[in-house]
Amino acid sequence: MNLSRAAVAIGAAVAVAGAAAGCGSSSSSSNASAAPAKLVVWRMGASVPSQVTWMNGVVAQFHKQFPQFKTTKVVVDWIPWGNRVTDWTNALTSGKGGPDITELGNTDTPGIASQGALAGISSQVKAWSSGSSIIPGNLANDTVGGTTFAVPWFGGVRGVWYRKDQFAKAGITAPPTTWAQLVADAKLLMKKYPGTFGLGAPSDYTNAIVSFIWGAGGQVAVQQGGQWKAELNSPASEAGIKFYADLFLTQHVSPSKYIGQTELGAPGATSGGSDEDFAKGTLDMYVDGPWAKASLTAVSTKYASQWASFPIPSQNGPNPAPAFAGGSDLGVWAKSPNQAAAWDLVTVMDSPANATTFANAQGFFPEFTTALSGGGYSSSPLLSGFAKAAGFTQISPLNSKNWATADATDAIIPTMMKALMQGAPFAATVNKANTELQNVLNTGHE
Amino acid sequence: MSLAIPRDRPAGGSLPEPPAGAAGSRRLNQVRAFVRRHRLAPYLMLAPALAGIGLVLLWPLAQVAVYSFQNYGLPQITGAAPTQWIGGSNFTQVFADAEFWLSLRITVLFAAVVVPLTLIAGTLVGLLLNQLGRKMAAVVSTAALLAWAIPPVSATVLFYWLFDPDGGLVDWTLSRLPHWLVGNTNWAGFNWTTTGALQAYTVLTVLVVWQSFPFIAVTVLAGLKTVPHELYEAARVDGASPVRIFSSITFPLLKPIFLVLLLLSVIWDFNVFTQSFIITGFPGNRDEFNLSLYIYDKGFQFPPSYGLGGALALIFTVILLIVTVGYVRSSVRQGALT
Repeated sequence: MNLSRAAVAIGAAVAVAGAAAGCGSSSSSSNASAAPAKLVVWRMGASVPSQVTWMNGVVAQFHKQFPQFKTTKVVVDWIPWGNRVTDWTNALTSGKGGPDITELGNTDTPGIASQGALAGISSQVKAWSSGSSIIPGNLANDTVGGTTFAVPWFGGVRGVWYRKDQFAKAGITAPPTTWAQLVADAKLLMKKYPGTFGLGAPSDYTNAIVSFIWGAGGQVAVQQGGQWKAELNSPASEAGIKFYADLFLTQHVSPSKYIGQTELGAPGATSGGSDEDFAKGTLDMYVDGPWAKASLTAVSTKYASQWASFPIPSQNGPNPAPAFAGGSDLGVWAKSPNQAAAWDLVTVMDSPANATTFANAQGFFPEFTTALSGGGYSSSPLLSGFAKAAGFTQISPLNSKNWATADATDAIIPTMMKALMQGAPFAATVNKANTELQNVLNTGHE
Repeated sequence: MSLAIPRDRPAGGSLPEPPAGAAGSRRLNQVRAFVRRHRLAPYLMLAPALAGIGLVLLWPLAQVAVYSFQNYGLPQITGAAPTQWIGGSNFTQVFADAEFWLSLRITVLFAAVVVPLTLIAGTLVGLLLNQLGRKMAAVVSTAALLAWAIPPVSATVLFYWLFDPDGGLVDWTLSRLPHWLVGNTNWAGFNWTTTGALQAYTVLTVLVVWQSFPFIAVTVLAGLKTVPHELYEAARVDGASPVRIFSSITFPLLKPIFLVLLLLSVIWDFNVFTQSFIITGFPGNRDEFNLSLYIYDKGFQFPPSYGLGGALALIFTVILLIVTVGYVRSSVRQGALT
């Protein structure tokens, strides 16, 4: 079976042999004697024509590479990001209506896996010819207690969006590389463009706030002897937290209305926040990933040709702050009766060629070291900043088992940042969040 | 409203007598005699309703109670981890959580503001409707009932737009009013919903009062129609002011109605979930949680903890039972239930 897969993946030359081996693997995989009538794939977000076309191509390849499944229909269900956890939970509690394959946010994977939702695929990944070229740290993220539960599909990092025309008019020749420059530029832009704000700082934005903590040399939490030690109140971390809060409090480059909001507006909303204001031109810079382009152009294309990016600066430069390595994984559903077929489809969706086409089309980065080093990103003004940021990433502790509880359920960092922006005493607020975070990371509750 | 069980009537009297000469129905007759002797007929008639309540209310409640002493969650459902009895630790965890007490405080304060406002507004509109001519009464009651008839989600979205920081009508209006009237706040772009509990619950107060005063008004109006007209005429002849008429005639006579409305309003305003869920942008703003949102967050936000949610549901039920006991007691004392 392993051999046959490798043969299929490498040698298109011996297509007949591949097909024969494929049949062999089908009969050997115990109870999957008949091809499943359909495979259900849960994709996150909204259906986009380019992604539908891409998926149609993948399905055609899947049928060709695995002739034993050529009658299997592949159904894609689009799940809005905000509903994913509810839908997973419902499928788990009812035991019905679950997918065969699901896309997962990479910070979701450890938590979802430890709830028993995903099938262990360690041996399949080991046998997979492309498995070894996945960025090792990202595969480690999908491994809980020694078992691999998902494979990385695409990655993305956040950076700072800005407008070239605004920078030129304000006389800013190079993107800022330190915090001092960042604030100075934000103020300069506000002066040149009255009525705008310089840099959006939504309080409910953990994935950006961590970059400022890391950018001062701090850590959210570190592992010591198998236990998590929260470090929000270390001097370096506090510097990052204070800088972010001060964007609103003392520097006044971010408006008060972003307090309690995500980068996309009210929590749960997908527009109406800093993203919309940036697209409309009332906010000069904001933090988001390259994937935001689709929703920004939906708001307004007026300034689209001027959009560009730079990495989130670190406190003192010159290297950027580590960016949170976001992205999506593909996992096989534990309750799926068609796990063998599902894994085969995953290998086609996530083949280096297909994953790279997909990532490039959506403004993401592929998860394969070979594809990333290929280049082609640096020539795009919009993507170059993000590509640079992609070279400085971190994910821990956002991939720890209890991170979902810490961030989604208990919203520890957003609640802390909101309180600070409301004027709560700094040290006490950060210490409280630090204690809660340490408890949640270690025990699962405050 | 009469829920009385006619104990004093011959029990089983409603059962038809067996048809004369029905041979072979001796057994049936025995059953009838048994039912009559033990006065079981009322209970038999209640049985289907009780079974229904037991099925949809008591059984789930019992299950919730069981879960509240377990670590019941997703791993237990998927079989990734065993279900364990964990004693009262769900409850101790709740009582040790500062956010629980904050959400309880917000819930109580909200009810303390909204209940009086709703009752006052509703009563005033009820009194107004009683005074108005037929046409104007139709206009006012239609306007009020529309507010009542709009589904909570629609009404909340409507208010969300009104209070939107980007071009919402409220911010637009406030930003155009002179500073001496509305203060120095920068109203254009003022975020009412997520920047703090006070702002969010200001919106929620207006919204919930607007949605719930019509019921009060209609109920008060119905009560007013039962007050004999002569009482008001006599009061007016004596030269009583409208305030005096209300405090000496209307209020005492409608006191049972007001008491019921008060308790119902307290129960409803403790339970404001839909509106607060949308306005506060659940689940991001934990400093704006009321008890309902807090329970939903603990019970159902990923990773769900049905045990913890069960414990919270029990605590909330006890809180509401305390209010309900007051309701039932006063109802009995006022004779509403006899």
